[in-house]
Amino acid sequence: MASRQPRFNQQNLIDTTPLPEEIPKVKELGATSAPLLSASYFIGARCKAYNDDYMMCKTDANGRGELECLKEGRKVTRCAASVIDDINKHCLAEFRGHWQCLENYNHQLWNCRSAERKLNKCVFDNLKLEKTIPDTPKGETPVHLKKHMIFARNV
Amino acid sequence: MPQDMPPTGGYGAVQYKRNLPARGFRPSVYLGIMGAIMSYGFYKFGQSTRERNELAREKMWARIYLTPALQAEEDRDQVRRYLADKAREKDLLGTETKVYHSDRFVRPTFAVTPEKELK
Repeated sequence: MASRQPRFNQQNLIDTTPLPEEIPKVKELGATSAPLLSASYFIGARCKAYNDDYMMCKTDANGRGELECLKEGRKVTRCAASVIDDINKHCLAEFRGHWQCLENYNHQLWNCRSAERKLNKCVFDNLKLEKTIPDTPKGETPVHLKKHMIFARNV
Repeated sequence: MPQDMPPTGGYGAVQYKRNLPARGFRPSVYLGIMGAIMSYGFYKFGQSTRERNELAREKMWARIYLTPALQAEEDRDQVRRYLADKAREKDLLGTETKVYHSDRFVRPTFAVTPEKELK
């Protein structure tokens, strides 16, 4: 016999206490999965240093990374947010075109190449961020630049 | 009575072979055609495997680039809950309690539900 009565209710019972005042505030990204996937390579291009710094801090913190890497984490979030803000400012139509295509095609990047080409061009012209896939075999066209694809519609 | 002899010029040839026309090409030609089709198929299979690998690499790197941002958000949320829990414990018990014999951050396995909805 449990000594504690079960409590049932229909509300979302989450702890909403904010972080203490001495920890600086940062606005969360707030983007859903498709825009994040669409912007991921540009986030990677601009924020690689911050990302690596944060992940290294977590590795070195020996299990206390959650508490000790808050500063690095804020930098990561601010950098990613800056990328998404810039894309929204300069390439809103192309960005929307691409991530809505991703939503329609089950988040498969290879089904949205035509929208992606437009987005990549706009982002490169305005923000100087380029999509590069690391560790692509040498002497081969990167898969996002291929003219003819085996698996996708060639549009 | 003279002996029965073969007719002059000998008997006609006895037909012991089946007289069926052999259709189509030589068997080696068919083997060759099959080999060509198979080679083409295996070539396409190899090409598509390579393209699939590259697509997987693209997806993986997209996730690698996103991981720190998502992890940072989650960690901040965990720390917020952890500090709130600690503050509540301090209020209730008057002392800081330590559950684990370790300094590591341990993600709680259960959550205390408030009686009423917090706003």
